[in-house]
Amino acid sequence: MRYICMICGYVYDDAKEKVPFESLPASWKCPLCGAAKSDFKPEETPVSKLSDKDNSQEVPASKMKPVSQPANANPASAPTKASTPPTAQIDTPADKDSDLKKLSPDQLSALCSNLARGCEKQYKPEEAGLFRELADYFASVTPAIDDASVENIAALLWSDIDNYSGLRAAADEASDRGAARVCVWGERVTRMLSSLVIRYLNEGEALLADTNIWVCTVCGFVFIGDEAPELCPVCKVPAWKFEKIEGGK
Amino acid sequence: MMKTFAVRNLKLCTKDCLCLYVCPSGATDTENSIIDISKCTGCGVCADACPSGAISMVPWFYPPQQPKKDSVCYALNALAQSKLDAEKSALQISASTDKDGLARLMKAVAKSERLIAEDIMREAGYMLPQSHNTHVLLESLIKNPPEGFPVEAAEKLLAMLPDNEL
Repeated sequence: MRYICMICGYVYDDAKEKVPFESLPASWKCPLCGAAKSDFKPEETPVSKLSDKDNSQEVPASKMKPVSQPANANPASAPTKASTPPTAQIDTPADKDSDLKKLSPDQLSALCSNLARGCEKQYKPEEAGLFRELADYFASVTPAIDDASVENIAALLWSDIDNYSGLRAAADEASDRGAARVCVWGERVTRMLSSLVIRYLNEGEALLADTNIWVCTVCGFVFIGDEAPELCPVCKVPAWKFEKIEGGK
Repeated sequence: MMKTFAVRNLKLCTKDCLCLYVCPSGATDTENSIIDISKCTGCGVCADACPSGAISMVPWFYPPQQPKKDSVCYALNALAQSKLDAEKSALQISASTDKDGLARLMKAVAKSERLIAEDIMREAGYMLPQSHNTHVLLESLIKNPPEGFPVEAAEKLLAMLPDNEL
């Protein structure tokens, strides 16, 4: 039997390994991306299932959920916003009549910080700075979450994994390649975040003692280890694209 | 043929200086290593000559993004909101905890969720700073600015970035 890492696609082939997958300890980690043993699934049919080139072949998200759901995380109790300020819904042009195009301050912040990155890529540093100013403004007026907790973050990540399959269906139906593309990296990074947050809930500070946390600045993949991986297991950029997360305020 | 200009990536430039030899207009010969786009003719010989692949030809005008269907935007926006709720929660936990590991993990979660949300918003119709969508958004924010909104920054952006769909 072959087992595939749902995050980076690493294959554990019982035929080539000394220890059968089922006999590996629960603390075993994916040698490529550090994902938990529970983030592997048995291969069902052809190997192409996790291929980025043919997303429609992928296993439905319901079959790919990690085995260990967070004990305390209740997906029904996702975090709620504190009282919404008058600026919370801002009309954007395309369709003034529908709620669809009303964006929240944090959505506008992400929209502007992304446009800032777009300007950087086009070698437009001044425009990038201005978009960053807009992004910072919208971040500053984003209301606080009144029940922020690690458990609620775990619940959000858990429901996001399902939401990616909904997004993928909508993207496929509209033949929207760009929207289908965001599912590929986004879903894997979300699975990794979910896996790490659940591990933190189970293992506490021991998970992170005397080691570093690295974030891929391109796709957002999070890696725990002394050094950044040579290549990002999700998007394949080199180690220097990883940022080390420092402690302190 | 798309009209382009040359830019040098300083992270890749190893100062082989072949661009200086081949440039017909002297645009690559600058003190600060940044190619002078007012002199660049867009011929591309510097990019071809550069042994470290540090020069690329960048278009003056970008084609519009693929139009987006409401059903796709709805799913994208909903997912982005969930990502941003997690980002905000993680930032709050990171700022208030005394545990070093938790503070770092939450910073990492916040950074990661922001990157994912940015990628989603890009696909929800806001890929290009020059897009018509971006223009209309900036115009509506200038017209009805929420309290404290930096109107001047938005006005500068409108003036600096021509709409690529007009």
